[in-house]
Amino acid sequence: MLEVQSLAKHFGGIRAVDGCSFMVPKGSITALIGPNGAGKTTAFNCISRTTQPTSGQVLLDGKRIDQLRPHKITRMGLSRTFQISRNLADMTVLENVICQARIGGWRDLFKPALGAEEVDKAMEILDFLGITRIAFEDGSNLSYGQKKLMDLAALLMSDPKIILLDEPAGGVNPTLLEEIVGHIRKLNDQGMTVLIVEHNMDLVMRLSHKIVVMAQGRVIADGKPEEIRENPAVLDAYLGGVLEEAA
Amino acid sequence: MMSIAFQDTSNVLQARAEHNAKLALRADRKRVTWFPVVVLGLLLALPALQFVGNYNYVLHLILFTACYATMASGWNILGGFTGYISLGHNVFFCIGGYFAGMILARYGVSTLVTAPLAGLICAAVGYLIGRITLKTRGPSFIISSLALVMIARILFDNWHFVGGANGVALPANDLSVVWAKLPYYYAFVVLAAAAVFVSYKIKHSKFGLGLRAISKDEIKAESAGIDTRTYKTLAFAISAAFVGMAGAIWGEYLTYIRPNIFLVILVSVNMVLMCILGGKGTVAGPVIGAILIVAFNEIFVATLGSSELNILASGLIMALALMFFPLGVIGTLAAKHRLPRILNWD
Repeated sequence: MLEVQSLAKHFGGIRAVDGCSFMVPKGSITALIGPNGAGKTTAFNCISRTTQPTSGQVLLDGKRIDQLRPHKITRMGLSRTFQISRNLADMTVLENVICQARIGGWRDLFKPALGAEEVDKAMEILDFLGITRIAFEDGSNLSYGQKKLMDLAALLMSDPKIILLDEPAGGVNPTLLEEIVGHIRKLNDQGMTVLIVEHNMDLVMRLSHKIVVMAQGRVIADGKPEEIRENPAVLDAYLGGVLEEAA
Repeated sequence: MMSIAFQDTSNVLQARAEHNAKLALRADRKRVTWFPVVVLGLLLALPALQFVGNYNYVLHLILFTACYATMASGWNILGGFTGYISLGHNVFFCIGGYFAGMILARYGVSTLVTAPLAGLICAAVGYLIGRITLKTRGPSFIISSLALVMIARILFDNWHFVGGANGVALPANDLSVVWAKLPYYYAFVVLAAAAVFVSYKIKHSKFGLGLRAISKDEIKAESAGIDTRTYKTLAFAISAAFVGMAGAIWGEYLTYIRPNIFLVILVSVNMVLMCILGGKGTVAGPVIGAILIVAFNEIFVATLGSSELNILASGLIMALALMFFPLGVIGTLAAKHRLPRILNWD
């Protein structure tokens, strides 16, 4: 589904992502983990083209997407959330969600923003996530967790084939975390491919089918959760061990 | 394409009903469309005063206000909705004025006819300039817009075909003194109405929603699937078109086109101040701002004389107004839910 081939991103002399390659199989939940500064978020940004990769390729369904502009990538069915929820304040949740709806063409552009069709679809999604009651709240009045849910709702509005979630559990209380996990599972059961960047190891181990471990910009391990748990290179990376060995 | 199956639809139906009820209530409570229509009707009927006396001064003031209302509303599409503050919009005022003015001077076709064409030319120029300058954001964009004014000033001051710094005199129309202002009066009132109407339409379209998203967070907007580059250049083009049309008619009204009529910073600053005073990003804001600023200027010129003193007084009023209405008159009142219904055109 999504294939990342020797992706690299250099910031001056710093190699944030340094030849990282992995695959996200269709219909799977794949997690990208690693210690702080491993380059997970940068890799993420390169995939969604929020930052431009220095080199390497990203393929979605066999087509290169690393040269497209971000909105084209979203239109191709790859949507992402941001680590720090970047919602659009002083727009209501409904508007925030509808913002992400597909636009057919020039004629669509000048149709009323909150068309009945979009509102219905947005409300269905909000209902699916159980947050219809905040539909008319301003984006700025939401709690952190509600923002995360709103981000997820906006994501679904664009009919994605694959969703990239950047730390969906970051700063979220355990109850809500369970809820979010439930939603991700449900979406995945319906065939949605998911790529997650996450720190919460417990969550990752429970949720994902496949784990990609990064350290210092490189992939040091790649496999099923059970395998990763026992992989000495991963343990080393997390315990601050010898990275040269791993690479 | 992935689609999500939803099992329980009763909640959805209920939420939808609630939403529709809320929307209806909101539309009813918040928006008034009859008021601007009545105002427009009154303005269109006002020149009948000329039958009973000479009210040219009143007509001139309204015409002048409508001209600025058009320009401020146009500016608001880029500066208010999209969040790109341009201090260079008088360049389009100039291009519109010169394009239509030169056609009038050479071929005798009235600018009232060529104004829409001037608007199109300005939109095209705006699109090209926007493609380049809209890559920058924030202060850099403001500086780039200022640079645009300087480039245009040098160009027009030295371009002999259009009269250089001396400009070109345009033929006056052959109506009597009482009726001479009328064509321009109607042109500006209609233009202002069109600008407000287009602002309203844009604000409520998908395009407008996209522009609002861009003004809040461009990276997020882009990753939400909004083609930010096209959206903002289009906004630039539309806003340039309105300023250009106003410029076209303004030139013929003054019967003179000269770089230092159009390309002075005061013109573009006035547009910005009107939007900020009235309320950036609202539909009524630029119009209210134009009325207030023109009124302040007239009052202070009349009472304090045409010296630096009147400018000081206008500035003082502006500063005071923005202390109490930081989001502009309309914006602040709307945020506090105190906006009189007749002023809510959003």
